[in-house]
Amino acid sequence: MARVLCVAAVQDGRIKRSSLEVLTHFRQLCDRSGGAVEAVVLDPQPNQFVDTLQKYGASRIFLVAGDAFGQHLNEPVVRALESVFRQSGADAIAFASTESAKDVLGALSVRLGAAVLSDVADVDVRDGDWVATRPVMAAKRHARTKALTTPVIVSVRAGSYVASEAPAEADVVEVSFSDDEQARRPEIREVLVALGGTVDLSEATVVVAAGRGVKDNEGRQLIEELAEVFKAPIGATRAVVESGMYPATSQIGQTGKVVSPDLYFAIGISGAIQHVAGMVNSRVIVAINKDPDAPIFQYCTYGLVGDLYKILPSLTEELRAAVAG
Amino acid sequence: MRFCVCIKQVPDVAAPVHTGRMVLNAYDASAVEEAIVLKEKHGGTVDLVLVGPSGATETIRKALAMGADDAYHIIAEDHDKLDSFAIASMLAGFFEGREYDVIACGKQAQDTDAGLTGPMLAEMKGLPYASNAVGLDIEGDRLVVTRQGDSGQEILVLSPPCLVTCSNDMNDPRIPNLRGIMAAKKKTIESLPMDQVGGNVSPRSQTIDVFDPPGREPGVMLDGEPNEMAGTLVNKLANEAKVI
Ligand SMILES: Cc1cc2nc3c(=O)[nH]c(=O)nc-3n(C[C@H](O)[C@H](O)[C@H](O)COP(=O)(O)OP(=O)(O)OC[C@H]3O[C@@H](n4cnc5c(N)ncnc54)[C@H](O)[C@@H]3O)c2cc1C
Ligand SMILES: Nc1ncnc2c1ncn2[C@@H]1O[C@H](COP(=O)(O)O)[C@@H](O)[C@H]1O
Repeated sequence: MARVLCVAAVQDGRIKRSSLEVLTHFRQLCDRSGGAVEAVVLDPQPNQFVDTLQKYGASRIFLVAGDAFGQHLNEPVVRALESVFRQSGADAIAFASTESAKDVLGALSVRLGAAVLSDVADVDVRDGDWVATRPVMAAKRHARTKALTTPVIVSVRAGSYVASEAPAEADVVEVSFSDDEQARRPEIREVLVALGGTVDLSEATVVVAAGRGVKDNEGRQLIEELAEVFKAPIGATRAVVESGMYPATSQIGQTGKVVSPDLYFAIGISGAIQHVAGMVNSRVIVAINKDPDAPIFQYCTYGLVGDLYKILPSLTEELRAAVAG
Repeated sequence: MRFCVCIKQVPDVAAPVHTGRMVLNAYDASAVEEAIVLKEKHGGTVDLVLVGPSGATETIRKALAMGADDAYHIIAEDHDKLDSFAIASMLAGFFEGREYDVIACGKQAQDTDAGLTGPMLAEMKGLPYASNAVGLDIEGDRLVVTRQGDSGQEILVLSPPCLVTCSNDMNDPRIPNLRGIMAAKKKTIESLPMDQVGGNVSPRSQTIDVFDPPGREPGVMLDGEPNEMAGTLVNKLANEAKVI
């Protein structure tokens, strides 16, 4: 295998863990097969991330500085990645499957003439063939998909691999980027940032998720208290996002985010297939539902049949004691 | 504005796999709904285009019954062998010489979750685009898109011609009423043979096989009074699952 360029996504001033997972996976693949893994950061101030990327074993690091990257616009990102990719001579470009990545994969693939394997749970390269496993049909089935042409673009679901360090000295290459005033692109009017937890759902080790069983402020309070025990972010179903109880960024599922924490609490959630698609790879799933026939119980590790309003107060108290003790 | 919505027929993911029930992709249904709402508010037209086997006509009729105007069916009998790139290429061929202000796609197909066709098509046509829209509006001659990003929402303004991919969080698609259904029956769907549309239809990826993922171990159901269940659970989380 040859060279893979990993795109390091930045959020809240650091490289996202899911990007480090991707970097680690390809470093390991490259180590085994004699290739090299490289990284690229697009940011107003990309230099600050060099240390982290060296720690995770990038052999070459491309830094593209530009104020445009502080905003969420697809056109400058596609243009910058195209130019870095051509400069690097890599055979493939790899992303963590974030919403920002989904925004650019398709357009970038057309620019590069690349095959795309998107939102994969696993990817391997054998004898030059790129083959990925992708959850399909709302994660009910898995498909093995092969790239028929090169170069290849791949995006990997968060939590598919474990990030691990392997410090290396990297060549640092600064790539100049200038804004193209003539470019046909959307104009950004406003960015609305969701209030609440700063822990990214897709990176959390514990997620507390609420569904329509959580009906009022009292229920919300109970969820918050449980989440507080683990400093965990709060996830939600589409039903309670739609009703305005939780922000859209907390939605987990086919439309929302994919999470795979060590511990997932599904509270007052029925377990519709489109929700399950986003959480079924959690290691341990605890479900609380008053309906013994709720589909969520087919996926859980531990199921508690009962009223969440009655169960949560004692559960939170016991957990607080156990975690503190 | 003149809208054209790209719609796909997909297996119903909520039905058992073996039933083979086919439906309009939910994300595309939201795109159709939003285009119709904007047409009702600001005037304009809403056309549809679908690439798929002859049997997919049913799905086109359903979208017509929601209130769309003209429909085009690009006949591709072995549609399953085509990837997003091949579909986008065909659609790019279809749009050659046709004038639309907004091309709307779903943010992804419910069966493959690829999420690629829209941005690929936009790039092929050199159009500005926004993905994962949760809200659309028209201001003068511009399209205002609210898109859901990783950690918040962005409000973007696009000048037509442009392309947008839609989330189902944008609206609840209407259920066609009897009048809509009757009107849809009378409409003609123009069918276009695949090889007349143009565009490069060689896929760049291929599905080798599809299988059931490894299932989860059956879970343990706890019962008893709330405080008993809480105690048992904490014990199991600590000593059995070792996650706390
Ligand atoms: C294309 C598409 C994409 C979708 N994407 C998503 C997605 O990304 N994420 C998502 O979540 N959904 C998604 N959905 C919606 C999904 O199909 C379900 O409608 C949704 O997940 C239901 O949410 P819920 O479990 O909160 O509500 P419900 O299905 O109404 O379930 C509420 C549950 O709470 C239980 N309950 C009620 N009161 C109590 C109590 N006091 N104590 C304990 N339990 C109680 C009930 O028994 C019930 O099981 C999508 C749908 C479509 C068509
Ligand atoms: N066969 C098709 N015919 C028309 N539009 C399609 C087709 N396949 C995909 N699309 C459009 O592209 C979107 C994303 O598809 P995908 O890239 O397959 O996830 C869909 O929501 C549709 O709007």
